[in-house]
Amino acid sequence: MRTVPPRSLLDVDDLRPGELVGVLDRAVAFRDALPARDLLAGIPVLNLFFEASTRTATSFTLAEQRVGADVITFAPGASSLGKGETIADTALTLHGIGVRVIVVRHYESGFARRLADAFEGHVVNAGDGTHAHPTQALLDLMTLRQEFGRFDGLHVAIVGDILHSRVARSNIVGMRALGIEVTLVGPPTLLPPDFGAGELRIERDLDAVLPHVDAVMMLRIQGERIASGLLPALDDYTQRYQLNRSRLRALRDAAVILHPGPYNRGVELTDDVLDDPRSRYVAQVHNGVFVRMAVLDLLVNGAPVVAV
Amino acid sequence: MKTLVKGGRLVDPVAGIDANLDVLVENGFVGRIGEHIEPDGARVVDARGCIVAPGFIDMHVHLREPGQTHKETIATGTAAAVAGGFTAVACMPNTEPALDSAAIVSEVMRRADAAGLARVYPVGAITRGRAGTELAPYHLLAQAGCVAFSDDGSTPRDARVLRNAARYASDLGCAFISHCEDPDLKGDAVMNEGAASMRLGLAGSPGLAEDVVVARDLLIAADCEKVWHIAHVTTATSLDLIRWARTRGVRVSCEVTPHHLVFLDDRFDDYRAESKVNPPLRGAHDRDALRAAVLDGTVDALATDHAPHGLDEKAQLLSAAPVGFGGLEIAIGAYAFALPQLAPARFVELLSVNPARILGVPGGTLGVGSPGDVSVFADRPWTVDARLFHSKGKNTPFDGLTLPRRAVATVVDGAVVFEHGRVLPRQEAVA
Repeated sequence: MRTVPPRSLLDVDDLRPGELVGVLDRAVAFRDALPARDLLAGIPVLNLFFEASTRTATSFTLAEQRVGADVITFAPGASSLGKGETIADTALTLHGIGVRVIVVRHYESGFARRLADAFEGHVVNAGDGTHAHPTQALLDLMTLRQEFGRFDGLHVAIVGDILHSRVARSNIVGMRALGIEVTLVGPPTLLPPDFGAGELRIERDLDAVLPHVDAVMMLRIQGERIASGLLPALDDYTQRYQLNRSRLRALRDAAVILHPGPYNRGVELTDDVLDDPRSRYVAQVHNGVFVRMAVLDLLVNGAPVVAV
Repeated sequence: MKTLVKGGRLVDPVAGIDANLDVLVENGFVGRIGEHIEPDGARVVDARGCIVAPGFIDMHVHLREPGQTHKETIATGTAAAVAGGFTAVACMPNTEPALDSAAIVSEVMRRADAAGLARVYPVGAITRGRAGTELAPYHLLAQAGCVAFSDDGSTPRDARVLRNAARYASDLGCAFISHCEDPDLKGDAVMNEGAASMRLGLAGSPGLAEDVVVARDLLIAADCEKVWHIAHVTTATSLDLIRWARTRGVRVSCEVTPHHLVFLDDRFDDYRAESKVNPPLRGAHDRDALRAAVLDGTVDALATDHAPHGLDEKAQLLSAAPVGFGGLEIAIGAYAFALPQLAPARFVELLSVNPARILGVPGGTLGVGSPGDVSVFADRPWTVDARLFHSKGKNTPFDGLTLPRRAVATVVDGAVVFEHGRVLPRQEAVA
């Protein structure tokens, strides 16, 4: 049994439930009062984004600055990284330069794991392919707890392109660990019947699910799903799965709407949803900075583990 | 030159023999079988405690030469073969250039002869450059030494091309060998489609991708009355399709690999490419169906799909790393590991008798006058250390596993080419 904090955060289950709650507590504390900018003073943190990102890259950068890290931001582009050079050589080089924490986003599932296996420092997964996006899941969980004050017994529906969503995967892992009931909703091409090996509830009828959930998380639908033959014309999808004015009426007053962003207005949701008082998109991105501060603090400095 | 394999248990199902008998090979052919044959100047192979079998033939290997000799050469590949207990291999045509002309095939055979280890039977391409459009010159290839045809690694996408190829070549006895994966259903998959691929966020290829091509090719085989062989079957449904085709009179054989008999699609949690292979490792339902099909006789042959690569190539990201890994040096151990209940006679059928029959090559028996190709193996547990392989491919999912059976000695054309863990090319063995 591990007694020290994990070295890297590749997915939510790198944190034991007690550590996860501890990170959220710490994030709340940071949100209530910013800490002195010295938690990671002098620690070189590299933001290594192989895939374009606005919100996540900005949020990480601000979090790193607020804990006093030496922030290096680098978009590899045409460099040797991830191309001819092996992952092991890249990791060795970055460690030799002095980097101690790598925040990495990559278009291939598993890249963060491969990097972490080769790097003698901390790796924070800022999204790897369709696999995991743990800090997004943590900020979603933080938003849910802020809303309901608990996890146990909550019922959350995740709707849309589950198969290609790293956000969905990390949330499923985290929510199940915390006792949240999860229902997945989407068409069979984006949510295959055997997804979850029979351990997850799968529904095709969004209207039947909406009245019963405490939160609904709407995933982004990318246009390429139509080009690649996974979806028919968009209106067939929206007619069944779009969150819009009429479906908002089915949602409980006390329920909340989450979206990992960036959203496509008119696709998975309509303008009415973003204007709805139950929408928590802004709270989510706001919480993201504090969650990322808490993750960096935990990995580098450790933190008291809250008993569960 | 005489070689005496002495003191072992001879298992030769064709001759109906399973008894403690010595085998004397003279001038490359079996000269005598009997109890307590005196050496009389013969080179003696001590086979006490071992099973002595007609030479094992691996009907599916990639020797990488010409064109990819950093992965393997004919010399290193055949060294791996004899070290693994094989006296012959059939090499697949996905070399660079492909085995689609008599000149290249002749050169492969010349180099195999120069290596002086296992016999090498080239498998010619079905289409020029394995590009799936123009037919390869089957009769010229057969005259040059090809024993079968395949576009292995891929499959002619165009059913019309494959049908015409099978029709044109239908007067040749050489089987067509199909690598069955539909490229569209497979997409950019790196592993089997299932709960594991979905959990890991990796693109998976469904068993359906194999099944639809097996079905198509069996129907083409029936239509053209062509002898057919399905390579590396991995699904329960494909096995059912093969059974069905046989009830309709299709002359079809099939093989399975050691890795599909042993491993499942649960080997990708570390996102490394060691176990990346085509067709992919499947789930337990399919793996168990393969094992049952070997036991019930549906499967004709065990074949490794030996596909060596450099360690640096396999260390790449999962999407970029090449498919496959070496198999010759773990094969007989792995088969015994997967199927401990397999009787020795059936083991010999799957590794010698049936491959010889399917490929139409000599061997498969040690009856007097047969080729002097002998595989001597024993049930002696050993732990796989890929660094010690004779193959250039040092990567295998079997690394570190303890296997129950291993090759003890290998005799090719009457010469002892492997004994005491050492590979001895024929020229040296004679001298």
